[in-house]
Amino acid sequence: MKLRHGIWMGTALVAVAFLLRAVPVVAHHSSAPFYDATKHVEAEGPVTRFLFKNPHSFLYFEAADASGQKVEWQVELGPAASLTRTGWTPETLKPGTVIKASGQPSRAEGSHGMCCARITRPDGTPITAGGRYTEEQQPPK
Amino acid sequence: MKTRHLAACAVALGLGLTAAGAPRAQAPASPPTPIPDLAGIWDGTTRARPVNSESVPWGKDNFPELNERALAYQKVFDEALSPKYDCQPATPPAIEYDPYSMMVVQWPDRVIFRYEKDDQTRTVWLDGRQATSRDYAIQGFSVGHYEGNALIVDTDHYVFDITGFDDYNGIPSSSLKKIHERYWKEGTELRATVTVEDPMFLKKPASYTTRWLPQRPGYQLSAWDCDPEAARAPVKMMPPKYK
Repeated sequence: MKLRHGIWMGTALVAVAFLLRAVPVVAHHSSAPFYDATKHVEAEGPVTRFLFKNPHSFLYFEAADASGQKVEWQVELGPAASLTRTGWTPETLKPGTVIKASGQPSRAEGSHGMCCARITRPDGTPITAGGRYTEEQQPPK
Repeated sequence: MKTRHLAACAVALGLGLTAAGAPRAQAPASPPTPIPDLAGIWDGTTRARPVNSESVPWGKDNFPELNERALAYQKVFDEALSPKYDCQPATPPAIEYDPYSMMVVQWPDRVIFRYEKDDQTRTVWLDGRQATSRDYAIQGFSVGHYEGNALIVDTDHYVFDITGFDDYNGIPSSSLKKIHERYWKEGTELRATVTVEDPMFLKKPASYTTRWLPQRPGYQLSAWDCDPEAARAPVKMMPPKYK
């Protein structure tokens, strides 16, 4: 019983760690020309639109910028084909859902973009209830 | 003249009949060479290999030697030019390494590669047909044959592609690009060595070897359905190189 409880706890911890990790931007383009990996930005607000597409998905939400003015942020996510493998669906982020995103800011002047973001509810809890499929890294032999 | 012609015909007919009726020496029947079974849905995601990037699969050990023309192209290259931001599909040698699944179907006269990424299909003809000048295409024209336990694929007739070498290094490919691929099974894995030559841009051929794992049972390739808005959306996050 104790062992089963331990296994359950371990599995739950792995699942939480997985859900809280940054959502990757996968393999369509390099992020370096678009986003500054040396900087960090964080914003919180309601989702206005969730574009669950290939080759990238995008999450749009409204939040105040550094000057306190409301702007729409564009968060680049992985392609729908990859997000699907980790349990995301087009319904995962509905308009009006308040989220907190932190990640690398976009480089273009006047833009409000973010990539490689960690997305949670405002209290830090994960957005999705559970991953259906996880991938383990196995480098080529 | 007529008589001589008839006689010649009769001799020829007689010889033919004799040859047809004579018992032939039977060559020992050799068993047909089995072709390697490469069919299935293959997983090229991070389960199988690291994700592609500026240094994967082209790293310090196998990065191609670029000629002056390629270096000049790299200098003026603007990421916003890349046609992938308008849903133009990837081509070899990049598409094989994209971190998605692919399906291999083997028919007697062809092998079909169906890529989940970009909804692309490549047909490799095994029946000896040759490309014509009407066969230039984004995925080129592929012919192949089996060699022992391997499938050999040779592709040419590509159209010029500003990012035809890979998705990351701003190296184009020309209509002289040729791709040589060797596919084989190792245990349950599918492996391939992909070699690219393009004398317009590369000083000599370059190659990488990679692998796929069998996809989980019941897996179906999903439609990519590239969305033009989503494809171009990142570009406005990048400072423009040219005004």
